Amino acid sequence: MGSAVTHAPALEGRADPEPRHGPVKSPRPAELKRRRRRENLAGYLFMSPWIAGFLLLTAGPMVASLYFAFTDYNLFDAPRWIGLDNFSEMFGDPRWRHSVRITLWYVVVGTPVKLIAALGVALLLAQKRRGQAFYRAAFYAPSLIGASVSVAIVWKAIFSDDAVVDRTQQLFGIDAGGWTGDPELIIYSLVALTVWQFGAPMVIFLAGLKQVPRELYEAADVDGAGKLRQFWNITLPMISPVLFFNVLLETIHSFQIFSSAYIVGGGAGGNACGPADGTMVYTCYLYVQGFENSRMGLASAMAWMLLVAVALVTAVLFWSQKRWVHYEEGGR
Amino acid sequence: MQQGGNAERQAGRRTILKAAGASLAVAGLGATATACGGGSGSGDGTVTIRYSWWGAEDRAERINKTIALFEKKYPKIKVKTDFQPYTDFWKKFNTQASGGNPPDVFQNAIGFLRKYDAKNVLLDLSGQVDAGNLSMDGFRAGLEKFGEIDGKLLGVPVGSNSMALVIDKPVYTRAGVKPEQGWTWDDFDEAMTKIRDRTGRAGDSGMYGVMYLYDLYLRQNGKAFFTEDGLGFTEADLTTWWTKAEKGVKSGLFADAKKVAQIKPKSALSAELAGSEFTWDNFTVRYTSEGKSEYGLAPIPTTDGKRTGQYLGSLMLSGYKRTEHPKEVAQFIDFMVHDPEVAKIMGYDRGVPTTQAQYDAYRPTDPVNKAIAAYEESLVEAGVLEQITPHPNGADICEAAFLRIAEEMALGSRSVEEAVEQFFTESKTALAG
Repeated sequence: MGSAVTHAPALEGRADPEPRHGPVKSPRPAELKRRRRRENLAGYLFMSPWIAGFLLLTAGPMVASLYFAFTDYNLFDAPRWIGLDNFSEMFGDPRWRHSVRITLWYVVVGTPVKLIAALGVALLLAQKRRGQAFYRAAFYAPSLIGASVSVAIVWKAIFSDDAVVDRTQQLFGIDAGGWTGDPELIIYSLVALTVWQFGAPMVIFLAGLKQVPRELYEAADVDGAGKLRQFWNITLPMISPVLFFNVLLETIHSFQIFSSAYIVGGGAGGNACGPADGTMVYTCYLYVQGFENSRMGLASAMAWMLLVAVALVTAVLFWSQKRWVHYEEGGR
Repeated sequence: MQQGGNAERQAGRRTILKAAGASLAVAGLGATATACGGGSGSGDGTVTIRYSWWGAEDRAERINKTIALFEKKYPKIKVKTDFQPYTDFWKKFNTQASGGNPPDVFQNAIGFLRKYDAKNVLLDLSGQVDAGNLSMDGFRAGLEKFGEIDGKLLGVPVGSNSMALVIDKPVYTRAGVKPEQGWTWDDFDEAMTKIRDRTGRAGDSGMYGVMYLYDLYLRQNGKAFFTEDGLGFTEADLTTWWTKAEKGVKSGLFADAKKVAQIKPKSALSAELAGSEFTWDNFTVRYTSEGKSEYGLAPIPTTDGKRTGQYLGSLMLSGYKRTEHPKEVAQFIDFMVHDPEVAKIMGYDRGVPTTQAQYDAYRPTDPVNKAIAAYEESLVEAGVLEQITPHPNGADICEAAFLRIAEEMALGSRSVEEAVEQFFTESKTALAG
């Protein structure tokens, strides 16, 4: 933490370019040390609001939640140490297993579809065309507003019974009713919502695509390679670091889905997370246990379980990158 | 140590002091922000109490009018209100209460009395009754005992209601069904079949998930949904109830659960998916504004032709145990349950007023509210009203689980056997907590 500040370029061990008080004398080591210590202290003090915030609002609660994970804690009575009971209860709870299944399904289906959409649109937008800036902004906009509760509410309205989607279906003779009330279909509306918000990975893909040297394509053209072949053999390998970054970020992001599931699934009033737990994703169940059932100990245990799971998935992704991510010579 | 470093050192010190000042200022801001949460008294003796309740906009309008009236009569007491829909209300309340900052006075219901009493949240109002700040006289039909648990007065009922079968009148007429006090479950089943066959509509919207109805059925058979510390029925009992429900859904006697879920938050009755629905009698008001048809009230079917198992349910007002202003809280509650003007403003929004004075003050003129009054009077006349069985700590979670699991069963995502097992597992956990 502190090192970032002390290495600020203007302050440290720098030869003064414009001597102001007589001849330049390089400071002796003892004085240097003193000065550095002073500067460090100032640095820490300037950082103290942040440090205090971190300790109070992030580190503290994390330590507390780690402790609560091994207790029975209902917010009112003092936490009671119960060892690993929360974890064994979790694994034995069919509702918990359901939430794990539904989250995994969402991650495995939603993330690739979203990334494919992002890459596809990025490929289109990478070419020079009129109104390019407008299209980029238009496609990026949903991911700016996408995480908000209001969009989830609008989404719910679009997919509910007798709304736009339902009526369109009826035009084609499909009488399935609204998606948001259907325990099987509601999760698809959430996937649609996340795919719609492909803007952020798209922008990153765009940046990656811009970095691919033109000469490679020219050479491939000369050798007679088609567009598909060029995409497969040049574009994909060249943007694989960006692809890796996006896969990593979006996967972690998908694991943390909450507000859309909670709002679209019912949120205020009625079922907490969809009819017949249709959108009962992991964090939703965590919320229900913590805030509806007042079981903060169990909820903490669930949160740590999620942390471990995401860490594992991240580790696997990092391990796998050796096989498919290509860095330029020396770029590693 | 070199003297030359003095100026620099001072500059350094100044930087440090400034930095410290800045962080102190930030910390100071934080401190004031938190301090704001608890403040309530002020120099001139005016006291502010916080009042929160669940409901929606139209209730908010009525409640604000009653508060304006209260503040006029008690100029030294200011009331700050806060409201959410039902489930959100309890989430927020839980968080506030565990942080030691719940509202001074709040809307409450029977299912939460033991729970929050066990957690030391509820004010025992009997002391305030003795002190003369709150009167428990003039309540109708024994309602004054409603919020008493283990000798403590934990809530004062503001409105009474009772379970009923709310019916779509034209549908019942077309089917040629006339429910009367004392009709049996066999009569009811027959009526369901008639409605389905003659009107092409399901008879009921999903009674198998209504905990309060199942409670009545159990009481008719000498049991109850809850005992003081657990469930008052067996897995076999519930299996029978839900097996019948599953058959009803499959044969179209009960509305298609998927459709019912899809049209939420609208009710299946007002969405014309079903001909009737078991619920609280004052919900008729809501259905009338929601749906196109004309809605009426029918009695609860019985097992033996007499006993319905019914009791008056009620919304209550409770106080926070460690409120700084117990006297003002008591005065507020007293005003809300006794003042005739309040009844004129609130109408039957929270059920029929509980005190005779308020009951007399508001005489409904519209057919819906008149029907509710008539229904409650008919219950008194028929003499079917009994005492409610107390709800144990954790009852609210059981109720939510009952509704959810019944829905899953009706949707076909759980077999009856699995549903029963799941409900008992979840209830055991909830009631142990």
